[in-house]
Amino acid sequence: MLKLSFTPLSTTFPSKIIPPRLLKSITTNTLSQAPQTVRQNDTTTSTNTPQHKLPPKSAYIHLPFCRKRCHYCDFPIIALGSSSAPEEDPRILNYIQTLCREIKATSLNSNPNPSLETVFFGGGTPSLVPPKLVSLVLETLSSKFGVSLEAEMSMEMDPGTFDRGKLKELMELRVNRVSLGVQAFQDGLLKACGRAHGVKEIYEAIDIVKACGVENWSLDLISSLPHQTPEMWEESLKLTIQAHPTHVSVYDLQVEKDTKFGVLYTPGEFPLPSEDLSAEFYRMASRMLTDAGYNHYEISSYCRSGYMCKHNYTYWKNEPFYGFGLGSASYVNGIRFSRPRKLKEFMHYVELLEDGGVNCEDDSTDAKDLAMDVIMLSLRTARGLDLKSFAKAFGCELVLSLCKVYQPYVESGHIVFLDDKLKTITVDEYSSLLSDDRKMSEVPAFLRLSDPDGFLLSNELISHAFGVVGS
Amino acid sequence: MATAADFCRLKFMPLSVNSPFHHQQQHHGFGFNYSNKYKFSYSGRRSFRVNCQTTSGVDSSSKVSHSDLQLAAVVGKDRLSKVPTSNIRNFSIIAHIDHGKSTLADKLLQMTGSVESREMKDQFLDNMDLERERGITIKLQAARMRFMYENEPYCLNLIDTPGHVDFSYEVSRSLAACEGALLVVDASQGVEAQTLANVYLALENNLEVIPVLNKIDLPGAEPNRISQEIEEVIGLDCSNAIYCSAKEGIGITEILNAIVQRIPPPHDTNGRPLRALIFDSYYDAYRGVIVYFRVVDGTIKKGDRIIFMASGKVGYLSASIKSVADARVGDTITHYTRRAEQSLPGYKEATPMVFCGLFPIDADQFPELRDALEKLQLNDAALKFEPETSSAMGFGFRCGFLGLLHMEIVQERLEREYNLTLIITAPSVVYRVNTIYGDTVECSNPSLLPEPGKRSSIEEPYVKIELLTPKDYIGPLMELAQDRRGEFKEMKYLTESRASIIYELPLAEMVGDFFDQLKSRSKGYASMEYSFIGYRESELIKLDILINGDCVEPLATIVHKDKAYAVGRALTQKLKELIPRQMFKVPIQACVGSKVIASESLSAIRKDVLAKCYGGDITRKKKLLRKQAEGKRRMKAIGKVDVPQEAFMAVLKLEKEVL
Repeated sequence: MLKLSFTPLSTTFPSKIIPPRLLKSITTNTLSQAPQTVRQNDTTTSTNTPQHKLPPKSAYIHLPFCRKRCHYCDFPIIALGSSSAPEEDPRILNYIQTLCREIKATSLNSNPNPSLETVFFGGGTPSLVPPKLVSLVLETLSSKFGVSLEAEMSMEMDPGTFDRGKLKELMELRVNRVSLGVQAFQDGLLKACGRAHGVKEIYEAIDIVKACGVENWSLDLISSLPHQTPEMWEESLKLTIQAHPTHVSVYDLQVEKDTKFGVLYTPGEFPLPSEDLSAEFYRMASRMLTDAGYNHYEISSYCRSGYMCKHNYTYWKNEPFYGFGLGSASYVNGIRFSRPRKLKEFMHYVELLEDGGVNCEDDSTDAKDLAMDVIMLSLRTARGLDLKSFAKAFGCELVLSLCKVYQPYVESGHIVFLDDKLKTITVDEYSSLLSDDRKMSEVPAFLRLSDPDGFLLSNELISHAFGVVGS
Repeated sequence: MATAADFCRLKFMPLSVNSPFHHQQQHHGFGFNYSNKYKFSYSGRRSFRVNCQTTSGVDSSSKVSHSDLQLAAVVGKDRLSKVPTSNIRNFSIIAHIDHGKSTLADKLLQMTGSVESREMKDQFLDNMDLERERGITIKLQAARMRFMYENEPYCLNLIDTPGHVDFSYEVSRSLAACEGALLVVDASQGVEAQTLANVYLALENNLEVIPVLNKIDLPGAEPNRISQEIEEVIGLDCSNAIYCSAKEGIGITEILNAIVQRIPPPHDTNGRPLRALIFDSYYDAYRGVIVYFRVVDGTIKKGDRIIFMASGKVGYLSASIKSVADARVGDTITHYTRRAEQSLPGYKEATPMVFCGLFPIDADQFPELRDALEKLQLNDAALKFEPETSSAMGFGFRCGFLGLLHMEIVQERLEREYNLTLIITAPSVVYRVNTIYGDTVECSNPSLLPEPGKRSSIEEPYVKIELLTPKDYIGPLMELAQDRRGEFKEMKYLTESRASIIYELPLAEMVGDFFDQLKSRSKGYASMEYSFIGYRESELIKLDILINGDCVEPLATIVHKDKAYAVGRALTQKLKELIPRQMFKVPIQACVGSKVIASESLSAIRKDVLAKCYGGDITRKKKLLRKQAEGKRRMKAIGKVDVPQEAFMAVLKLEKEVL
């Protein structure tokens, strides 16, 4: 009777792709017993284990509670309202209990299982959840998978939802990275997008983060908000730089269909900034943050050297990860799966999972899908697509076609090819390669989008590659 | 056995014992299929049964009494051969588009019990998906009904005809096979241009025309005024016009009675040698060639050995005829042994008026496109095509159509029924180019127009159009015709409030949005009808379009020299709207020879980035990217620029001010 059918959104991939180990600067001296190959931490690739079949070392935990829904938000959230204290709210406790049941009911395919290297609490507003309940989740994760002592443990926190005591408690639970949802430094803009906090709470939150000694923290901004002017954006970026976060995320506003903004506004039309202005905001961020010493390592992410978000990087590398909680996505055993976005259905799903009623079919998806995933994810990063390993997984022919399809965009400066020494291949050098297929398949080692021009047109550019893969 | 003047459907069957219709063959006689279970097939895609027995399922509120129904049922079960020639009535329905022709046909079928109500659906005879969606009739259709009149069984053969002006060719075919016609006029709209055209066709064919005023249930209906209008405009006696509402089932019995009373039976020519006129044919994958024909003289029965007089092909009625081409529409069937001396007049060959290029987006689909066109041509004699090659578009076909609607219909059928993805270039008419060498070249493809130095003059086809309009819109419509290089010929008031305006204008000016403009300027009240009148010399030049510096042949168009600048400007502006922005700036230019006469530029896309892959959920983003890639696939790459299908039709969508 209770049988629900959950279709895996995406399924297994037959080929063995070994993405490059990108994070030279980050050491992962884990104590876990992960297979040797997984722990190799250099740029060489191992060829004997299909990467997507490895057990995940990252977990995303969705904590969906918010005071109210922001006007741009279409995430699976649960709005609590402002009345009850989170400590006493039974909805939170119930949810956390279900979440822990989900974690426990998750089947482990590999033996031994590596400890988690990254844990990311996203939301919603995870900082609304009382630390003792966060602790419950972490204990469950630890006993199920083990959590490495060095693990990066991030939490999204909103100004006005935590004080020094709460953050201290969380830090004692080994939360060591804060992602602070600032969005803008103008009260008017914050109000217009329905944020539950003002600028005052932002400064208080920054002070708390610093006073508690959180070394690794991100300040998250949204560009192209309604009524946002270049002056406001410049101010936000300046104030961001002054706050000295180790990481900055800059998200360009996406106007989603079923949100208040989606009803009220059309992208590119007043009061939203024009497309030109919106592009200019992106360039401003890239220029100012780069000048202030941040690396633009991913389309919407900037960091000080050594402070990349390890968790998010697993996504860009197309590495496996667990997902737990309402609406969360996971990528385990080569299968992408999104959980129900509605609480009731999610509860149902957990019951089914406990009864062993959820099985993600392991039918093989074609290599094209996997190739598309690798392309779209890796081209988000400054490092780009590793052509050598891509060729190994999907064939030289495909790489050759990719190299050629981008000709106009190499000439226009949107696409950059690099050789194996990470030196940029000039347009002239590239042109001479065009007439020589052998050299074309040998010389370029990486393909990336230029910053900011290529990043700004990433969809257009990636869809060209999709066209090549799909044909 | 079918006697003279009756309608039949010939089924040329493959002689396999394993035929899926084996059982049926035994039941209904080998290969010749008409009986009380008249099986009605069409278009090779679908077939359904018109059971000629009546049934309990008929709506009890219908105007036919129960005893009539029972009688009809009995009649339905009678074998048709019992109906003498004098009890056969062949008729068609003529009407302006939307005046309720197909609804009336539905009702006639229902009332005579020819279709069981559970099988009944609206527009029963319009069985092409396209016909139902658009609410129009494209192909003529035939159906047989039984009807009891004064205790005698009658056989009523109905041919439903298309109403749109593009398909008047089909109308002439169906009228030639009848003795009478119902003239259906909307009692609130009155006489329209196509009503006139079709009724004149009917009178030319010496048909008995029965005026029917439809939609009398509508609040705006003025049947008295409209019948007066019919009398005044057409000169048809309306004293015994029938008032009906096909939708409500009012007046249907009266119509059936009138058909029997007023339409003459076909001449009894049973003794003469067989002559049967083919009015439609198609190929059925299971049953071979199916031919609809009308027996004009003599008789025909199963097993007869026949010959097609024009093609000379011989066959038995049960024989398998492999190709529809052997049984051409308009040909005459006669007995092999007792041949008729003269074939029947047949039909005028349809002349395509409008040409365009059809190119598959995926070059690999070229052979499929050819096959599809060949199949469509089998039951659409007006469709013409020949291979065409273009540097920008690759291999395709230049196709000729009766008009724009016909072109659209063919395009849609190709895409839907044959799953092809096509680029269609803007339609063009056939120009006659007189060269300096003294010869004349026909040119239906602007990009192939001989160079200016080689031509001494260009002639273009002219049409005479007749516009029927309420007097309030005379001004705007004359302005429209004038704008389209029209030459005023005549205006007369049909009634106090309605006028007919006659213009002669170049066909090229009518291809495109002329009809839309006519409708919009007259708030939908005006109607039109046109006929080809011949070629006239005009000062025409070729307008080329350059996108990003590349000349795009399929966008080239032939225009009057006085309009070149305006069209050039409008066309470049329109293309700017229709071509999606690219990653670089794209100049769009209109040129006459090497001279640029208009120029626009498409600014580059500035931003197309999805900021966040939230929580690693990439599925949605991936879907978007795939869609974007798919969108590119559907466009034609002209140099570096991706050009969508709509752009090739841009010339049809120019704002009215500039033309």
